[in-house]
Amino acid sequence: MLKVVVFIKQVPDTSSKAGVNPDGTIDRARAKRMLNNFDRYALQKAIEIKRSVGAEVTCVTMGPPPAIEVLVEGLEHGADYGILLTDKRLAASDTLATAYALHKVVGYIGQVDIILTGLQTTDGDTAQVGPQIAERLDLPQISYCESLTITGKTAKARRVVEGGFQNVETAMPLLITVANSATPLGHKRFIEVAQVKEMLRTPEERARRIKSVSLDDVGADAARTGLVGSPTVVGKTWKLGEVGGSCKVFEGEAVETEVARLLESLAADSRNIAEMLHG
Amino acid sequence: MKRIEYDVLIVGGGIAGLTAAHRLVDAAKTAGTPLRIAVVEKAKNFGAHVLSGAVSNPRSVKKLFPDYETNGFPLEGKCAESHLTLLGAQRAKDMPFAPPEMNKTGYLILSLSNVCAWMAENLVEKTKDTAVAVDLYNGFAAQDILYSGQRVTGVRVDDTGAPEQDNCYAKITIFADKGLLSRDLIEKFNLAQSNQTYAVGVKEIWETDQDFSGKVWHTLGYPLMDGNFGGGFIYGLKDKKLAIGMVAGLDSENPNLQPPQILQAMKKTPFVQQMLKGGKLARYGASIIPEAGWFAMPKELAVDGAMIAGDAAGTMDIKGFSGVDKAMESAMIAADVAFGALQKNDISKAALAAYQEALLDGWVGQELKASRYYRHAFHENKALFSDYLPVVLKGLDKGCMMSGGVKAFFSGPGGLISGGLNLLKLMGGGGSGELRLPEDRTCPKPKHNAVPLAEPEGFAKNSVYLTPDMVFYAHTHYHHGNDHIKEFDAAVCKKCIARFEAGNNPPPCVGDCTADVHSVLAKDGAKSHQMALENCVQCRTCEIVCPEKNIRVNPALHGSGPDFRGL
Ligand SMILES: Cc1cc2nc3c(=O)[nH]c(=O)nc-3n(C[C@H](O)[C@H](O)[C@H](O)COP(=O)(O)OP(=O)(O)OC[C@H]3O[C@@H](n4cnc5c(N)ncnc54)[C@H](O)[C@@H]3O)c2cc1C
Ligand SMILES: Cc1cc2nc3c(=O)[nH]c(=O)nc-3n(C[C@H](O)[C@H](O)[C@H](O)COP(=O)(O)OP(=O)(O)OC[C@H]3O[C@@H](n4cnc5c(N)ncnc54)[C@H](O)[C@@H]3O)c2cc1C
Ligand code: SF4
Ligand code: SF4
Repeated sequence: MLKVVVFIKQVPDTSSKAGVNPDGTIDRARAKRMLNNFDRYALQKAIEIKRSVGAEVTCVTMGPPPAIEVLVEGLEHGADYGILLTDKRLAASDTLATAYALHKVVGYIGQVDIILTGLQTTDGDTAQVGPQIAERLDLPQISYCESLTITGKTAKARRVVEGGFQNVETAMPLLITVANSATPLGHKRFIEVAQVKEMLRTPEERARRIKSVSLDDVGADAARTGLVGSPTVVGKTWKLGEVGGSCKVFEGEAVETEVARLLESLAADSRNIAEMLHG
Repeated sequence: MKRIEYDVLIVGGGIAGLTAAHRLVDAAKTAGTPLRIAVVEKAKNFGAHVLSGAVSNPRSVKKLFPDYETNGFPLEGKCAESHLTLLGAQRAKDMPFAPPEMNKTGYLILSLSNVCAWMAENLVEKTKDTAVAVDLYNGFAAQDILYSGQRVTGVRVDDTGAPEQDNCYAKITIFADKGLLSRDLIEKFNLAQSNQTYAVGVKEIWETDQDFSGKVWHTLGYPLMDGNFGGGFIYGLKDKKLAIGMVAGLDSENPNLQPPQILQAMKKTPFVQQMLKGGKLARYGASIIPEAGWFAMPKELAVDGAMIAGDAAGTMDIKGFSGVDKAMESAMIAADVAFGALQKNDISKAALAAYQEALLDGWVGQELKASRYYRHAFHENKALFSDYLPVVLKGLDKGCMMSGGVKAFFSGPGGLISGGLNLLKLMGGGGSGELRLPEDRTCPKPKHNAVPLAEPEGFAKNSVYLTPDMVFYAHTHYHHGNDHIKEFDAAVCKKCIARFEAGNNPPPCVGDCTADVHSVLAKDGAKSHQMALENCVQCRTCEIVCPEKNIRVNPALHGSGPDFRGL
């Protein structure tokens, strides 16, 4: 059976108001948490592979203990195992450090056929972690993958490229970053949700399906992770202002007049935005 | 594959369902016995499909959570000031004599959706490190009832096609679904007594400039002047929020009620305008209210393996608008009986029937029985309101309610006195015999001629909304491929449209929908019934008023629907 690993990350809930700390970092304690939206496409791909050709799917996340929630979510969607890499020394890891730590988890799992990641995250937004893991593991990578066909140990993929798409084919093992134009994550099935609930109540079963590991467990060098292992320097962060506002309805006059008013208003808004961006 | 089975399965995580779950957890914890409970709720999040007033007698909340004032139970406030207000297009005045059931001083002011969200969260906390398991399935709608012979064995909650994957089984199923699925149970076992009389309630939450917390108004009059049952409510919530709503009986002859617009009309009155000044609309929603009470309760509230609680069992009491406390009490009794039955290993109808006995012998039954003619009193005495109320209100708008009252009296003293006496007698519990209520769907008249109302002057245009704009504030979201309302026969709709349009009215589904879902499409000279299901707030009004029983609102799947949180 194919072994599939999917990297998923817990991020601050984009619909809740996350604050920015005085030092410019995100105040994660105050924000509600959610599964990174881009990773939902990667998870869906993993489940599709499992349901079409049969596979054992392991979700891996790196984060503080509450990140276990996204593993449970992955299992409720049909994944088989979850691994949480959690360690105080990981705090403030940049993409270099994150990819280093995550590639060690792949080594810890052992033989893997397909590694899936999302395109990017909604908090870090660099889209670097997936490709970096591939480089560290010296694996072929297919980025921006939209659709995928598996035959034996080969993967045929359609990638989104500027102005069109590209068909590629490569042998396993490989790493794939899944585009957000791929199939969206499906609905949880009752049976899977019910079984996960039961599993969480059975300590042995829970320990078998969800593991929490430290840097030492995966054989990672702590000096290459966390703040010390992260060369990134954050210059400055600032709040761009509140998103939202109220809906403006153009009505009361003839349609032509209203459309003209709408266009004028849009033009004025874009002037304001340009001013805001360019000072 | 092992089938998924619980001791108790609760269908519907509203106030009754979650009350039953809490009570069961408490009972099992006290007895120290393991218990497995499941709650299935069609909304994505608990509370997101729950809409109520709500001002409630604290008795049931106190019984379930004796420490509700300190345990984090979300209260919006306590009523410190209660008004029954006569609303005219220009002026408003408190009624000089209000029936005692409308005095809400000391009652709890709640956002029932917030209460349900809290109760679900708290339920999980409560069971940590105990032998009691509560599995919450929000986002899963119960679609069919499962039977083994005459015994209910659970519900189907998924549609992969494999029964062992789709079904949730239980020894006892408690239906607290406001009738959405349990109506099938009532039909199968022929449990209905009389028809139900429904009202539809539309409600908005406003963030305002002023603090109205602890204040409660119930209004009569404008814009419901045609004798139909209904009225407005305005509740001051904490954090400068205001709940404002309108309830209108669906036993109306008017096929074009436009419930959201009745609420807008009420908002246009100067009395409401001064409250909304500087505020903004935060949320909108709608829900139905089963108002008939005693005579419309199912004959039996339990069958083999199942029980019915809350609005599904018709416990809502229109006298004093007592729905929340009665739904909770019924759920607590149902839970107690279910727990006892499981302990004795007897889940037969005979064992579960103790629930009905206890409910009807207790205060819920006594109060419902005493008010059994209350709602009907208004149906029977429509003329009292349509003939005299406008005259009284005209007097009020001119500045003197007395003059209006006197005028009304002399305009037809006989009718007023006899009608009034009849109304008071029925409201007070007088009357005799079984009531057989008409089906609401038989009430709308194609030729109904609604009298246009003079609009209040000087209202702020941006404080009222067109129905398509209001829907935006219900935050509805549907999954791809959703088709939760079923139309049975397009030809029947065509005839219905022709019949109502001949009377210059839209068909009732179009006229009474709370979210601009239904419409009549004219194309190539033919007219047909259309639905924009992505707007639907799942109130079920359209199904109730459809004269031909030609549509059915089914539970929407995958957590689809409105988001009523905060309402
Ligand atoms: C300028 C800048 C400064 C930053 N400064 C700080 C800082 O000071 N302190 C700090 O804590 N963070 C900081 N971050 C965030 C941090 O670098 C990233 O969150 C982290 O390295 C992961 O990268 P990413 O979120 O950009 O992931 P991407 O590269 O955008 O994610 C691609 C994919 O990789 C996988 N993935 C990424 N992260 C994880 C994970 N944790 N677990 C499992 N899978 C994962 C997912 O599949 C994801 O879809 C900063 C980011 C930027 C851009
Ligand atoms: C506008 C309005 C104002 C009101 N004002 C007051 C008031 O001031 N005071 C008062 O005491 N009462 C008031 N009531 C009445 C009161 O709200 C109800 O009596 C009470 O909420 C009934 O509780 P319930 O649990 O039976 O139904 P609900 O609380 O409505 O819960 C039903 C739940 O079941 C779920 N459900 C339904 N079908 C399914 C299915 N097939 N599968 C899964 N889940 C399902 C629904 O999503 C919902 O969460 C008011 C009602 C309305 C509409
Ligand atoms: S759904 Fe009912 S009310 Fe609407 S047009 Fe069809 S028959 Fe008439
Ligand atoms: S379509 Fe029916 S159920 Fe949906 S909002 Fe309109 S009246 Fe309510």
